[in-house]
Amino acid sequence: MSQTLTTAPVAKAAPVVDWKGRFLAALPFIVLVLLVLIVTSKQPNFVALGSVRGLLESMAPILLLALGQTFVILTGGIDLSFAATASFGSVLLALWLPELGVVGVVAVLGVMTLIGFINGFVIAKAQIPSFIATLGALGLYSGLGLAISGASNIRISTGYEAIAWITDVRVAQLPLAAILVIVLAILISVAMRVLNRGKSFHAIGLAEQALLMSGGSTVRIRILAFTLCGLFSGLAAVMLAASQHSGGPTLADTLQLPAIAAVVIGGTAITGGVGGPIKTVIGALIIVVLRVGLTAVGVDPSFEQIVYGIVIIAAVVLTIDRSRLGVVK
Amino acid sequence: MTSTSTTIGESVTTTRGAQIKKFVVGAGPLVALVALVVFFAIASPTFSQPGNLSILLTQLSILLVIGVGLTFVILLGSIDLSVEGVMASSSLVFVLFAANDRNDFEFGLLAVVAGILTGSLFGLVNGVLHVRLGIPSFMVTLGTGAIGIGLATVLFGGRAPRLLDEGLRAWGVGSTAGLSNLVFIAIVVLGLAFLVQRFTRVGRYGYVIGGDEPIAKLSGINIRKYKISSFVLSGTASGIAGVMAATQLGVGDTTIGTGFLFTAITAVVLGGTLLVGGRGGVIRTLIGVAIITVLANGLILVGVDPYIQTAVQGLVIVVAVIASGWSLRRRVRVIK
Amino acid sequence: MSSPVLEVKNLTKTFKNVVALDDVTFEVRRHEVVGLIGENGAGKSTLLKILSGIYQPDSGEILRNGKKTVFRGVNDSAKAGIGMVHQEQSLVTSVTVAENILLGSEGNAVIAGIYNWRALNAKAQKQLDKIQSPISPKEHVEDLSFAQRQMVELAKALGVEEFSADEPVIVLDEPSSVLEGDELEVLFAQIERLRQIASVIFVSHRLDEVLRVSDRVYILKDGKCVAERNPETADVDELHRLMVGRESSAEFYRENDQKPVHNEKVVLQVDGLGKSHAFSDVSFDVRLGEVLGISGVLGSGREELTRVLFGAEPFDSGTITLDGKKVRFASPVGAVAAGFGYIPAERRIEGIAQGMSVQDNMFLADPRPVSFGPFLLPKKASEIASQWIERLRIRTPDRNANISNLSGGNQQKVVLAKWLNSPRLRVLILDHPTRGLDVGAKEDVYTFVRQLCTQGIAIILLADTLEETIALSHSIIVMRDGEIQSRFDASPGNKPKPVDLVQQMV
Repeated sequence: MSQTLTTAPVAKAAPVVDWKGRFLAALPFIVLVLLVLIVTSKQPNFVALGSVRGLLESMAPILLLALGQTFVILTGGIDLSFAATASFGSVLLALWLPELGVVGVVAVLGVMTLIGFINGFVIAKAQIPSFIATLGALGLYSGLGLAISGASNIRISTGYEAIAWITDVRVAQLPLAAILVIVLAILISVAMRVLNRGKSFHAIGLAEQALLMSGGSTVRIRILAFTLCGLFSGLAAVMLAASQHSGGPTLADTLQLPAIAAVVIGGTAITGGVGGPIKTVIGALIIVVLRVGLTAVGVDPSFEQIVYGIVIIAAVVLTIDRSRLGVVK
Repeated sequence: MTSTSTTIGESVTTTRGAQIKKFVVGAGPLVALVALVVFFAIASPTFSQPGNLSILLTQLSILLVIGVGLTFVILLGSIDLSVEGVMASSSLVFVLFAANDRNDFEFGLLAVVAGILTGSLFGLVNGVLHVRLGIPSFMVTLGTGAIGIGLATVLFGGRAPRLLDEGLRAWGVGSTAGLSNLVFIAIVVLGLAFLVQRFTRVGRYGYVIGGDEPIAKLSGINIRKYKISSFVLSGTASGIAGVMAATQLGVGDTTIGTGFLFTAITAVVLGGTLLVGGRGGVIRTLIGVAIITVLANGLILVGVDPYIQTAVQGLVIVVAVIASGWSLRRRVRVIK
Repeated sequence: MSSPVLEVKNLTKTFKNVVALDDVTFEVRRHEVVGLIGENGAGKSTLLKILSGIYQPDSGEILRNGKKTVFRGVNDSAKAGIGMVHQEQSLVTSVTVAENILLGSEGNAVIAGIYNWRALNAKAQKQLDKIQSPISPKEHVEDLSFAQRQMVELAKALGVEEFSADEPVIVLDEPSSVLEGDELEVLFAQIERLRQIASVIFVSHRLDEVLRVSDRVYILKDGKCVAERNPETADVDELHRLMVGRESSAEFYRENDQKPVHNEKVVLQVDGLGKSHAFSDVSFDVRLGEVLGISGVLGSGREELTRVLFGAEPFDSGTITLDGKKVRFASPVGAVAAGFGYIPAERRIEGIAQGMSVQDNMFLADPRPVSFGPFLLPKKASEIASQWIERLRIRTPDRNANISNLSGGNQQKVVLAKWLNSPRLRVLILDHPTRGLDVGAKEDVYTFVRQLCTQGIAIILLADTLEETIALSHSIIVMRDGEIQSRFDASPGNKPKPVDLVQQMV
């Protein structure tokens, strides 16, 4: 052989346990526990049933939105329209419930899912960045919602029975709806493990090029992620309409930042590929406990936005995988 | 070494199709603007009255300042979503330092400087976090935008502080030669921005970095410095816009910037500045802002629901991005 | 004889387990055009990267006008007056010609960050004048043709003159590959002009061009500088032989395991396939169990051809027929479903799914063998994964290890397993399959290729070396500048020699 040879190298030794990775993965949970401890020390009745009920009730719509967003962020994208879409959905629900009852609920969920599908379709087929496409969608559905509702909330009186159970039904004094959302998150997590294509979203986030060159239909997976996000926005819309007894064009808008924060704080990396629904549940819990915690510690509620902003940036910094970013824009 | 990359079989942009596209992107917006003006002049008698034109120009001013700042960031291929938060914070800092009904400060022009610098500071933070920590710009500015609103909320303290300085108030409500003073401020800002874009490294290297960052890096350019500078320019512009809005409304308010971000991005896109970076400029943004403002003004006169406008703007952004990116589509391509 | 303006002595550079440059010595004299030829992997690219300061040599020295110099980076090389016109376009299309020519070195045309356009354009014009180009410095690069852009690159490269008192050394790396017809003549005229104000190193795979333009020619092979010749007296055949001649061991390539395929059915048939600016009128067929090797240098069109077959790029003309049915894929999704597999050259980005486990990687192309409907069968998956690890001798801590931690060779085996797992596999495309692999891994790959053939899988091979191509293939087609130059039968006992291939490639 004319080629100069060196001795065959040994296969790279398995690295010692990835302490940094493990620590970061456990961090959200540690933070949650710490927060609960701190808040309980200041407000002992924090862990009382009534308080927990309130916590779960405020967490549920955020968690629904965050779960939908989780699918999208796992693929490495983002959906900036998800909260505005939910608001739009609540407006539609308020208009359709009186006439259609439960069918109205199904119709709204259908429309929301379709909106998500359109987002995903456009993004995947036209190959445009998701943040700008969903920024446009944000304007579109926000504008439509405002136009249809005349920029005001619509009270739901007749037809409310169809969604009344969401706020009324309790199980062991805890809101059933909230528990169902958590169960849903668990089911999704299980599905991701059990289905042979369950890790598709992660795969796109981690190695889209390799997936493409292995014959994987990244177009389909991406569309699915955004479609699911739309569906979950719809679920959030229904839940919000139930708790507020009304639909409004800005009903869910204030939840946009907390929901994104929940996903990111839970440990799902903005670069995609890492994370999942259970992490998002932890993230959502952190968000709501943080809210209560801030007031308990005596922080002015007007600081809330600042806290969200800082927390989001911090969480992104900790979880971002720069090696996969290439040129950052 | 070799890259079996996506540039196989690409010919240079001298094909017929590319030339047509270049022409449309180049002259299109201006033609559209003229067409719109003509249309509304015909459709509504009120449109071409001097009073309306004056209102139109005033409406255009603040949007133009924001759009001009955004242009620098978009030329890089990045985005700045913190505009509304920065405007809110700047307006409050400005009002609270000028003569107001909450405290005894009366810093006059220095208050203006303080307001503007607030914007610059936010821009600096945006740039540094984005460049040094490698966080995508949409994420950073989403976070700092929230911080901006939050800071404004804290400063707001439950009730809007009112601007009592008559001299400064006149900037917003007074007029010179029949045009609102805000228009002149906007013209000055536009002029300065054009000079920066055409005659300074911040401007020119912005085009280079946005056009081909890897090559820029190989040439030994300090990319970080120029990226951060562009974000500072955008933040400063938002700061100026916040101050302008405060003089116009007479208060500092957390909601002072609501709706501007969206409209400004639409304006930049409509003007022909590409979101992928490297192409466009502040003059194009001027045309885009004019289009948006004429549309907004005209449609209201014709009786169209303003919220439908927002919806249409959203659609326009999506269509514009699809159109400009259509020829770049490839089978094996990753866009997140 | 004029003194050398640039000398390279005993330059050596090794990457991991590959020696890219081995004790290379050559010189460029004043106002000379020196040609560099060599086939793929000869070391030309590495040498140029060292000269431009991108790589540092492991040993040896570089002398500029007799003085020892070290290039610690791109700027050092430019300051030493070495200007490079790269193979890939390196102009920023969003700004003007002047800005490109002076990018990063505007000097006193930009003071305190403020542009003096008149000065900038004048400076750029000075460079353009050197090559007597009619292009205006104010033009926007996006409006220029490829040929014009190359002239701008040349003017830019000449800019290094401003940095050093010496006359520049201009390196042209495959400058003619993007040019056609008259544009070539313009290029050659430029090189003649350059001769008077600089010294030139001309690198190209087109032997006839190199011989036409150069005063002296160096031949690189396997990282060594094997010969120096005068083009006027050189014998083209001898040059071909110098470029390739090496002993090959039939044992290494498992040639004994190669089985003849003359009577097998045709699996893939390609007729008049063409893709603009890449290749044209390509026709061939591949039978069950056959290895078709495609030889060619960079720019020959062979890489583009395989990507078109896999559906990763569209084609403009011709047909592809698989198992008797005409096919046209909209993307790799269709190709994989129809039975194509692809082991890519860019292993880390397109071959393996970094961050995922070895096992997950194995079922990336087709999870059906380990599924029941939509559900994963974890036990079956781990069984099959373990089997592959054993069969292919993949060295990994376990099947759940992160694939990014494996060595290149083992990663490649996982990629192989991914395609072997797919029961649909009919045609497997191997694009530089042994690149970056150590000897042991290479041998394994050759063994598996033989095994695949016995299973009836058709293989299209783009190999790293001519020896590999010849030893592994049943038939070979040689491509040059987008067309098939010739075909060779390479059945066992009837193998062509590397020289025969090279003659067609360059």
